[in-house]
Amino acid sequence: MGKTIVIDPITRLEGHGKINIFLNDEGNVAKAVFQVPELRGFEQFCKGRLAEEVARITTRICGV
Amino acid sequence: MAKPKVAFYWCASCGGCEEAIVDLAENILPVVEAVDIVLWPVALDFKRKDIEAMKDGEIAVSFINGAIRSEEQEEMVKLLRRKSQIVIAFGSCAYLGGIPGLANLFTRQEILDTVYFDAPSVVNPNKILPQLATDMGEGEVTLPELHECVKTLDQVIAVEYYIPGCAPPPDLISEALTAILEGKLPAVGSVLAPQKTLCDTCPRKDSKPEKISVSEVKRMAFTQIPDDKCFLSEGVICLGPATISGCGTRCINANMPCRGCFGPSKAVKDQGAKFLSAFASLIDSEDEEEIKKITDSVIDPAGLFYMFSLPSSLKAKFFEREV
Ligand code: SF4
Ligand code: SF4
Repeated sequence: MGKTIVIDPITRLEGHGKINIFLNDEGNVAKAVFQVPELRGFEQFCKGRLAEEVARITTRICGV
Repeated sequence: MAKPKVAFYWCASCGGCEEAIVDLAENILPVVEAVDIVLWPVALDFKRKDIEAMKDGEIAVSFINGAIRSEEQEEMVKLLRRKSQIVIAFGSCAYLGGIPGLANLFTRQEILDTVYFDAPSVVNPNKILPQLATDMGEGEVTLPELHECVKTLDQVIAVEYYIPGCAPPPDLISEALTAILEGKLPAVGSVLAPQKTLCDTCPRKDSKPEKISVSEVKRMAFTQIPDDKCFLSEGVICLGPATISGCGTRCINANMPCRGCFGPSKAVKDQGAKFLSAFASLIDSEDEEEIKKITDSVIDPAGLFYMFSLPSSLKAKFFEREV
């Protein structure tokens, strides 16, 4: 089993991300996994809000 | 003399607070000149191990934005707390919970079910949910645990100062940075914004009668408010009386009532309760049944009165009762 390279956090972009790169014995990439270690749940907490308020809630999904 | 070290970090947030710092435009240049930025994931490639390698208290100031929603965020802010002399809760989410704090109206399970199974755009036939650890064959990948409820920064670590706003406006950020660089910070625990109420600075305040009386609560979607009339006196919920000023009445100028992103004055523990008590005194009736009719006409009071401050409220986890 080869080396694993972990890039955590991914920087210079908006948002949270993490990459695991698994190398094989020759040092080539065997598998690379990208993960987003964050969840806020807009899909759920927009339910029940007044329709006219949703615009100012969903603008906070991404503020960039 | 070595430049003071400064860190910027984000938790459950949208990136708007980072954008607010970038919006300082050329005003950021003297700051960048005067300090050494040691962490800022959105802009610079420093990692957690760089912070771990620092001495305790080595960072002069950490600006932390976003609410605390996961184990990783909690660990990271505890690490920054150890390494920093001053921690500033930056923006509504770190200060009060903010929009991500609306998640406290639901259980973690309800959120996961909707996001991964039930939302109309989701296709997930194998019912896959994020796992804390997953064996990929070549090795394991891990994810941080999602907390049962969202917390404010000061519910997790000690915080010296608060900069309110969703997002904080450039002038308040500039003033705070100047105060830090000149060593002129106010008493620990202060909110770095004017403590007057939003109503006091509102361009519509002159249209507010001496005594507002509300006989019917109206929705913005079905009401036309002339652009010089106080929302509250027209029967539309506006959190101005329970919110501090400093935002430049941004929403009011866009003909929308305030939802309280600057939070209450520091003396007030619970912004929604503060608004509710102010609102109750405006109801134009002595008749119990009629009062009930008026209060019942508020649709989604939790969402309206606590849009930005739910985790900071006395009853931080609203899913524990019926809403
Ligand atoms: S209630 Fe709202 S519209 Fe009325 S004065 Fe206060 S902030 Fe302005
Ligand atoms: S008007 Fe209220 S909700 Fe809008 S920016 Fe100002 S404090 Fe925030």
